[in-house]
Amino acid sequence: MNEWVIETKGLSKRYKGRYAVSNLNLKIARGDIYGFLGPNGAGKTTTIRMLLGLIKPSNGSVHIFGKALNKDKLSILRRIGSLVEYPSYYGHLSAVDNLEAIRRILDVPTARIAEVLDIVGLAKEARRPVKGFSLGMKQRLGIASALLGNPELLMLDEPTNGLDPSGILEIRELIKQMPKQHGITVLISSHLLSEVELTAGTVGIIRQGELVFQDTIENLHQQAKGSISLSVSEPELAMTLLKEHGINAIMNDSSILLEQTNNETIARMVKRLVERDHSIYRVEEKRKSLEDLFLQIVGEGKRA
Amino acid sequence: MKSFVRLVASERLKLSKSFIWLLVPLSPLLALAIGLLVSFDSYDISESQAKYAMLVSAMSSFHSMLFLPILTGIFSAFVCRYEHGSGGWKQLLTLPISRTALYCAKFIVVATLIALTQLLFFGAVCLAGAYHGISFDIEWAPLLMAIGGSFLACLPLAALQLLVSVSWSSFAAPLAINVMLTIPNILVLNSAKIAPFYPWAQPMLTMLTFSNDSFNGSAPTISNMLITIAGSFFVFWAAGLLYFNRKEV
Repeated sequence: MNEWVIETKGLSKRYKGRYAVSNLNLKIARGDIYGFLGPNGAGKTTTIRMLLGLIKPSNGSVHIFGKALNKDKLSILRRIGSLVEYPSYYGHLSAVDNLEAIRRILDVPTARIAEVLDIVGLAKEARRPVKGFSLGMKQRLGIASALLGNPELLMLDEPTNGLDPSGILEIRELIKQMPKQHGITVLISSHLLSEVELTAGTVGIIRQGELVFQDTIENLHQQAKGSISLSVSEPELAMTLLKEHGINAIMNDSSILLEQTNNETIARMVKRLVERDHSIYRVEEKRKSLEDLFLQIVGEGKRA
Repeated sequence: MKSFVRLVASERLKLSKSFIWLLVPLSPLLALAIGLLVSFDSYDISESQAKYAMLVSAMSSFHSMLFLPILTGIFSAFVCRYEHGSGGWKQLLTLPISRTALYCAKFIVVATLIALTQLLFFGAVCLAGAYHGISFDIEWAPLLMAIGGSFLACLPLAALQLLVSVSWSSFAAPLAINVMLTIPNILVLNSAKIAPFYPWAQPMLTMLTFSNDSFNGSAPTISNMLITIAGSFFVFWAAGLLYFNRKEV
């Protein structure tokens, strides 16, 4: 009956009268990668902490795997792997011992430690004390511990924080294969759209504690409407010509910008201009980038 | 129950390769040094039991008055230390364990460390006794009771220190509080009125039951000590559990 892995209803968290998260209705489908986006301080981490039962919501409910979190907390947590904010580690212990400390609690076979170290590519460094690890390696160890219990749901809070570009790419590839290879649903939070754009199937955008967008990434793409930019020899003359033919255009520096982008209009326009001996240098399609759209949504708080 | 044993095993693993194991034998070794230096010459004691009473009295004064309460605080702070760095509580509490179980597991580790210290102290007493050539043919029960009672008297302090250590991310602050409450022992133990009710004085008072001497001649009764120990343990333990279960991580 319930196909949502995570479903929250009216989830709110109030700190001293101010809502850090208010009335959040998240819906995350099984096998999806859900990108949870928002600027710093929008309430992403607060939400994830509530989803993991680290803090109690002021209002609203959390259902994970169709069960209420406040009732079946331990059995739900057993099926979740998580990494909240910073990777946690015991610096004086080796990577293997770090995982062993968690393994003893989760009660999975010892062989699983080698498996997860292999998945995150830390097998060679397994015996070194973790305090000598680079940030990227600690982050990967954090992901390894999240994977240790064969989770069905992975919650990663800004997993690429502080990583270099190649590290980000590596983590991204790692996350991408989770649903395909292991059937894991992933919730990944970030303040950068570009980071989840290539991995996520669905995005939720949170702004000042409120969910302002929640839809598939394709629909987000469609919202990012394009425009056509024309670069011609005599832009002013061209503008008057276009106006005579009832085509709405805007002058932008020396190029002409058209909001309509259907093929007939463009063809008609180009034909008219060529007939009047205008030289057309360029006809370009300008797509508003998702990042622009994201900033617009986050900035204006336009409800979608 | 099985999962709880695994949880304790996990806590123990975190303490491997750490300097905490060096602190365990520290106080017993110091007590041993004092014990070796004790001289019976100026006293006219021939009975083995009385000689042991004097030996233990000398060896345990620093151990039970200062070191034991302070070590209890250090152990408690230590088992929380790794969690306070880099979001460890978050990781630990998103694992499928109840907070009560985790609190108990940490407490058991602290209690075990104190028990080890006491065991080593007992070993130190035996060694010092052997060094002085005192016969082992004495009644051991009162000594074991005193050492065991002293261990029990440390548990309320451990409960309070665990509460403070869980709530403050600093390693030093809980220790400062602990030392602040332990130092007054030097004065409190001289007061027949306050000492029986001061939790930090109990490790010493229980130890004194063996040598039968007291700072002011009126040794508190066992039942009095039990009430103080059990009462303070219950209060500190309940407060710690309540706080930890409600703590926002």
